[in-house]
Amino acid sequence: MIEFTKDQQNTIPSSLVKIIGLGGAGANMLDRVALDGMEGAEMLALNADIRTLSGSVASERIQLGRNLTKGLGTGGDPDLGQKVMMEAEKEVRSAIKGRKIVFLCVGLGGGTGSGGAPILTRIAREEGAFVVVFATMPFGFEGRRRREQAETALNELAVLSNALVVFDNNRMGELVLAKQGIHEAFSAGDRMISDSIKAVIRLVIRPGLIHVGLDELMTALRTTRSRCLFGSGMASGKDRASKALTNALSSPLLDKGALLKEAASVLVHICGGDDLTLYEIELLMQKLVKYVPAKAHVLFGAAIDTNMKDSLSITLISALPEEKLHSTTDDAERIVLAPTEGFEFDVNEEEPEAEPVEVETYSAPPVVQQAVVLAESAPVAEVTPVAPAVATSTIVSPTPLSAVTAPVQMKAPVIEPPTTAQIDDWIDLPSGGFAGNSERPFAEPVLDDPVSDFAHATPTPASVADAARELREALHAPIPAEPEEEPEVKAPDLGDLLEKTRTRFTPQESLFGGDARGKFADTEPNLVDGDDLDIPPFLRKKKK
Amino acid sequence: MARAKIHVGLEIGTSKVCMVVGEVKSDGSVKILGLGTSKSAGVRKGEICDYSKIRECVDDARMKAEEASDVEIGSVFLSVSGAHIQSINNVGTYRLPDNEKQIQPEHIAEANDIAKDINIGAEHVYLHNILRNYRVDGFEHSSSPIGLFGKTLETDFHVVTGIGTRIQNSIKCVRELQMDVDDVVFAPIATAQLALNRTERERGALLIDIGGGTTDYALYLNGCIAASGCIPAGGEHITNDIHMLTGLSFSKAEGLKIKEGDASGDQSRSVGAIKIPVDEKGFSQQEVKREVLNEVIRQRLIEILTLVRKRLPPGSEDLIGTGIFLSGGSSLMRGLDTLTYQVFQRSIYRAEAAEISGVQANFKDPQYATALGLIRYAQLADLEKQNTAPKGLVRFWPFRRR
Repeated sequence: MIEFTKDQQNTIPSSLVKIIGLGGAGANMLDRVALDGMEGAEMLALNADIRTLSGSVASERIQLGRNLTKGLGTGGDPDLGQKVMMEAEKEVRSAIKGRKIVFLCVGLGGGTGSGGAPILTRIAREEGAFVVVFATMPFGFEGRRRREQAETALNELAVLSNALVVFDNNRMGELVLAKQGIHEAFSAGDRMISDSIKAVIRLVIRPGLIHVGLDELMTALRTTRSRCLFGSGMASGKDRASKALTNALSSPLLDKGALLKEAASVLVHICGGDDLTLYEIELLMQKLVKYVPAKAHVLFGAAIDTNMKDSLSITLISALPEEKLHSTTDDAERIVLAPTEGFEFDVNEEEPEAEPVEVETYSAPPVVQQAVVLAESAPVAEVTPVAPAVATSTIVSPTPLSAVTAPVQMKAPVIEPPTTAQIDDWIDLPSGGFAGNSERPFAEPVLDDPVSDFAHATPTPASVADAARELREALHAPIPAEPEEEPEVKAPDLGDLLEKTRTRFTPQESLFGGDARGKFADTEPNLVDGDDLDIPPFLRKKKK
Repeated sequence: MARAKIHVGLEIGTSKVCMVVGEVKSDGSVKILGLGTSKSAGVRKGEICDYSKIRECVDDARMKAEEASDVEIGSVFLSVSGAHIQSINNVGTYRLPDNEKQIQPEHIAEANDIAKDINIGAEHVYLHNILRNYRVDGFEHSSSPIGLFGKTLETDFHVVTGIGTRIQNSIKCVRELQMDVDDVVFAPIATAQLALNRTERERGALLIDIGGGTTDYALYLNGCIAASGCIPAGGEHITNDIHMLTGLSFSKAEGLKIKEGDASGDQSRSVGAIKIPVDEKGFSQQEVKREVLNEVIRQRLIEILTLVRKRLPPGSEDLIGTGIFLSGGSSLMRGLDTLTYQVFQRSIYRAEAAEISGVQANFKDPQYATALGLIRYAQLADLEKQNTAPKGLVRFWPFRRR
């Protein structure tokens, strides 16, 4: 027999993954990940507060600010957080060296997290890692100052990291019941992050039947100033496919799947045990199509993991540009839930982030080097305000330059056009994707598979499904504000839609003896102004 | 005057029979002693179609009410509804004889007779003749103009009529249970007694009572009734619509409507699907999209409300100053207030009685508003009798003054 070994190019051994918890909140998340059992992946805890650090379960710990804070925390001062991170830079760099993927868990708003995370991200990128940042935003009650600190850090992270997943603590309430204890609320938040990390790791390290890897992940996340849409669900037993999908869509980051409607590319990864069937995958994708626009680039992957036993997991990853987020959120509620304030960028930071791998192949023209130096004084200063000398040295140093310069370069308008073009080139994605997408904001009705929903209920499932869709569209027909208007004109397109609805209903009507009156079938017509009120309005509108 | 007096209100509704026993104390306050309800059978769109069935239901409700109130029920005020009931405003004009300058009671009686003398059709009978206003030489007087000087006297009446045989049959049904019927009252007029106070009527208020099979409405402008009527569609039609769209059984459709329905049209409340659990008969789990469910409910309610709106006298809508009072079991529908606002653009209130004592739970529920209103109606009719009986004039004076 001929042995065939799979090409390992795109898969990453788990030893090349590092999960870093930075600061107090980061340590908590890391603990949760560790307790949930993440075999293989290395964990690194970073903190200035020696007491918290020693309590961490992570195998590797680095104390920040050994000389600066002498074992105490940074006291909520991001400047101090930056300093302590820079002090420990060497140590951190060696810990990250050679890792392909770095997950950074950080709670923004405090000192160590907000100050250290951008620097840590930069270090990791310089070491050539793909950096996925999981950040939590502070509660509203923590005050404006912390929120501002968090937002500043978030802005920097959005530029520096490859992927940024933001959890807003204010939305934690959706994860737990109101009366549950605060520890449960926090652990639910941590668990969500831990699940996300695990899902991403599963995605990139498991050799897939239909493979997705880092490249697909990057494609899915390739948007500037974006908010990462992330949902992951697991289920077992009967009907596990649809349950897993429901779980994934119930992620607060996806807003019940509504946000996916605007996505340009969506990565879907399905992982199951040996008994994963093609039928299940088919079913799942069929349902998912309802949430994803037709034009979207669906990056599909499936993998078998014997450890999954009889459960099935689905991971949805996508990114939504900030402006899309606003355009879709017509109701105030969604705006509130999106931590979009965090993405308020400076005007000069409008370039797409670049992936480190690609950037390496791209030799910056001399002009750029100049631009970097010029740019340093203004935008970069924001990243490293305290110690410009140190920052400069890192950035200008020729060897690790590639990763860091990428975002910085982009700030220089000179190279803007080639870069965008190039990126479009690198990542094989139709550049018109977004434009086309935005033309059809409500293209796909968010419907579960109505066919199966109604399969038992009606003899004509398809017609009901269509009718349901019509009705849904009819939902968008507003009632005119003027009371003077006659009711007939109230919803003009409603009538149209219902017209269609009715024709589809014909078989069902015959079920009720040719007259769709249901319960009132055997009574005399209930005529009011020429309308038989016993017939549902949505059927009757049409007869006229 | 006056010892405490006990009145009983009976509403035979499409979805339930409700009997309320109330005590009107000597100081005029009302206390609810007890309430008996029974799910009704044999009633369609507010009209009785199976007398033996409904008799049982009424009997059951009576027993419950008697038990709760510890009062033996001998006579009731009966509310009726149904599409056959019509209302019209009519003015009777009487020109005083040349030699008489002062308005005398007999002049008013004459004007009243003229006002009531409208062609109501052979099978119709008068349910109510409610005096709205007097006008003396074109000038409005809300109280009796007896003794005033004038040339022409006009009386403005709101006349409610219904098909005699149907009303008779309702009465017969109650009489067969050894109860007397003190009076027959058109349901929204009874409900209005409870729901609208004098100020609200002065400023203009519309009461909409969305019940199981009918939607009754009464419009009050300038303190007097301006329109009333019944639209033969209600909560049961919503259930039927849901049944027809989803194929769910009536009981499940009803449960779905009550538990999950939302009429507000707010899209955020129309997200997702409702799972209807497996039942013992082996139906597998079904899912109904919230947006479908809500849209069905919404369309039905929009239609009902626009029908009410169309029936109001032209221009009267602008005179509704207080707003719209919603009552009846279907008014418990979530989001109905939003929807009603969208249709009428007026403030929306829940019809609630402020001045009744007794167990709160009994009368906070809008389902009981009509039966409770009957007690109030009885009280006012009683008062009226005392005040005007000797003169034998206008029976329904209380609708103008409380």
